[in-house]
Amino acid sequence: MSFVSLCQLPWRRPAPIASALPAHWTDSARLLERVDAWRGWLEGRPAGRWILCQPDPLEFTGALLALWETGRIAVLPADDRPGTLAGLIGSTDGQIPAQLDVPNHSRALPHAPAAITPTTAALALYTSGSTGQPVEFAKSFAQLDAELAVHHQLWPLTEANGVIAQVSHQHIYGLLAAVLHPLCSGAAFCGEDCHYPERLAERMTEAGLAGLSPVMVSSPPQLARTPEHIDWSALPRLQRVFSSGAPLAQAHAERAESLLGAPVIEIYGSTETGGIAQRRQTVTDAWQALPDVELTFEGEGLALRSPFLAEPEQWWQQPDRVSGTPERFHLLGRDDRLVKIGGKRVSLDRIERLLAEHPRVMSARCVDLGRNDGRLGCILVMDTSSLPHEHPQRHELARQLRERLAAHIEQVTIPRYWRFVEALPCNAQGKLDRSLIERLFEDLVDDRKPRWLGTDLLDGRSCSLALEVPERLIFLDGHFDEFPIVPGVVIVQWAVQQAERSFGQLGDFAGCEQLKFQRPLRPGMRLRLDLTQRENGIAFAFHSHEGKHANGRISFRAATVATTEVADD
Amino acid sequence: MIIDTLELEDITPDDIEPQAALFGDGLGLDSIDALELGLALQKRYGIKLDAEAEETRSHFASLNALTALVEARRVH
Repeated sequence: MSFVSLCQLPWRRPAPIASALPAHWTDSARLLERVDAWRGWLEGRPAGRWILCQPDPLEFTGALLALWETGRIAVLPADDRPGTLAGLIGSTDGQIPAQLDVPNHSRALPHAPAAITPTTAALALYTSGSTGQPVEFAKSFAQLDAELAVHHQLWPLTEANGVIAQVSHQHIYGLLAAVLHPLCSGAAFCGEDCHYPERLAERMTEAGLAGLSPVMVSSPPQLARTPEHIDWSALPRLQRVFSSGAPLAQAHAERAESLLGAPVIEIYGSTETGGIAQRRQTVTDAWQALPDVELTFEGEGLALRSPFLAEPEQWWQQPDRVSGTPERFHLLGRDDRLVKIGGKRVSLDRIERLLAEHPRVMSARCVDLGRNDGRLGCILVMDTSSLPHEHPQRHELARQLRERLAAHIEQVTIPRYWRFVEALPCNAQGKLDRSLIERLFEDLVDDRKPRWLGTDLLDGRSCSLALEVPERLIFLDGHFDEFPIVPGVVIVQWAVQQAERSFGQLGDFAGCEQLKFQRPLRPGMRLRLDLTQRENGIAFAFHSHEGKHANGRISFRAATVATTEVADD
Repeated sequence: MIIDTLELEDITPDDIEPQAALFGDGLGLDSIDALELGLALQKRYGIKLDAEAEETRSHFASLNALTALVEARRVH
């Protein structure tokens, strides 16, 4: 069966094939039945724009094609959060229900059109723009068909393929690679419920049993976590693996290829532009523009023209920084405040704005910590009376903030690491710089450190620091199992370390005087550490809302000359 | 294991109620966490999850369900 463009209604070609695949696969025979059922349901309902948010690929595609055949436009929200859907009600004419109340349709329906005019609008997709508000992008059939033709040219599918999606078809990549391309090629497909590797393996087996060669449409979070305990070589061999949404680390690309035994093709693109470039990292880590996509580089800026854009003749500025040439280039990161977590794009501005609406939050700063887990950190400025003082309060506050965000943004993009401060720490230029951010989140990297939340310099000789006892502090282990506390020696060590960061090198430890430990320091507790420089050392005092916890004096003697210098003499 | 695997900074074992949902509203874990937990179960206890039915990820529904899975299926 050859490739047929969307405008020619490939799903209406004669002799639909009934496959031997289980019911969670979409094949052309099953699909036609659902298209007609949805057309029946749509009869007599308003024309125009319809919200379509449906995880099951068969029902999704059935409803999508019914909308298209009846001249309607499908509006695909990026997720099904109540806040997202509520924002779309005003600009749409209806919403496709999760289930069809009358499952089959028996009345005679008007004939499907023989062809669709390419310039007709097919879809509206959403993405978070740099303002943080979701921005709508309409796609015409001409745009979709141009991009599908390139997919067909580079990575042809036939009816002998079964396409397994690990990503959502509500986004452009999943829609093109895992629904529309198989549809145009007569290949069967199945959906996002294969997110987990065990289910994926099962679907591969099903494809094999039906005599189909499986193709996988995946993304970096899943490929990075391809488990070794599944014997992939015993399963039907994947013909090809796609990854998109974010760059795949080279080691992960190599590992996925060797475990899965199939080429891993990465596609770089965006909702606005469609596909831009591709690469296979076991061949080269450089990106190469897709056919028909014209790139120009200005400094680190990237502009493109392509038939996948709404205005193919106009140059489009892509907010990614690049180096190299259009034939071989590297991505250097975004030049705005959009980040991707688990392949989901999120605007840091938007998170900050949503958090600042919380009555106890004065302002919020969201930061990409560059951690392996990709998770975001968030620094919240709060009124002193609103700050959490104990673990349960902190835990509850973080829960409330997560809950607030969950109504608006994808779960994986919700910040994981929270820092509650009275004022945003700043350097001499008045900026929260990288080293301050690193210090705020230092306890994540070093489990011996307290959680630092800011330093107030009182005068040249004294200062007051805000600290918390991290719940994962290494020293809490093995002290008292039922009642974890910070050992006294660690308290003294913290005082010395923080004093050196505030006052500079203090010399060699000479001794402690008047040490008192009035109250234990428990995990999650918020503290003040007051430090004063004295003639031969420092005085320190830890206190919390409960009162004093520890205080004392530590003396130092002039640092011994470093041994290397002695040797040089 | 949950806290260590996922590096949950502000959660102590006491915060995880045995019956409460780990994902979504409960502990707020998400789909990436589920992938990580699947890998950790294999590494630490030799448990292989299978695709059979709802069963698999329903083990992740709560701490109790996960504990039951580990007790029943651990290899080491």
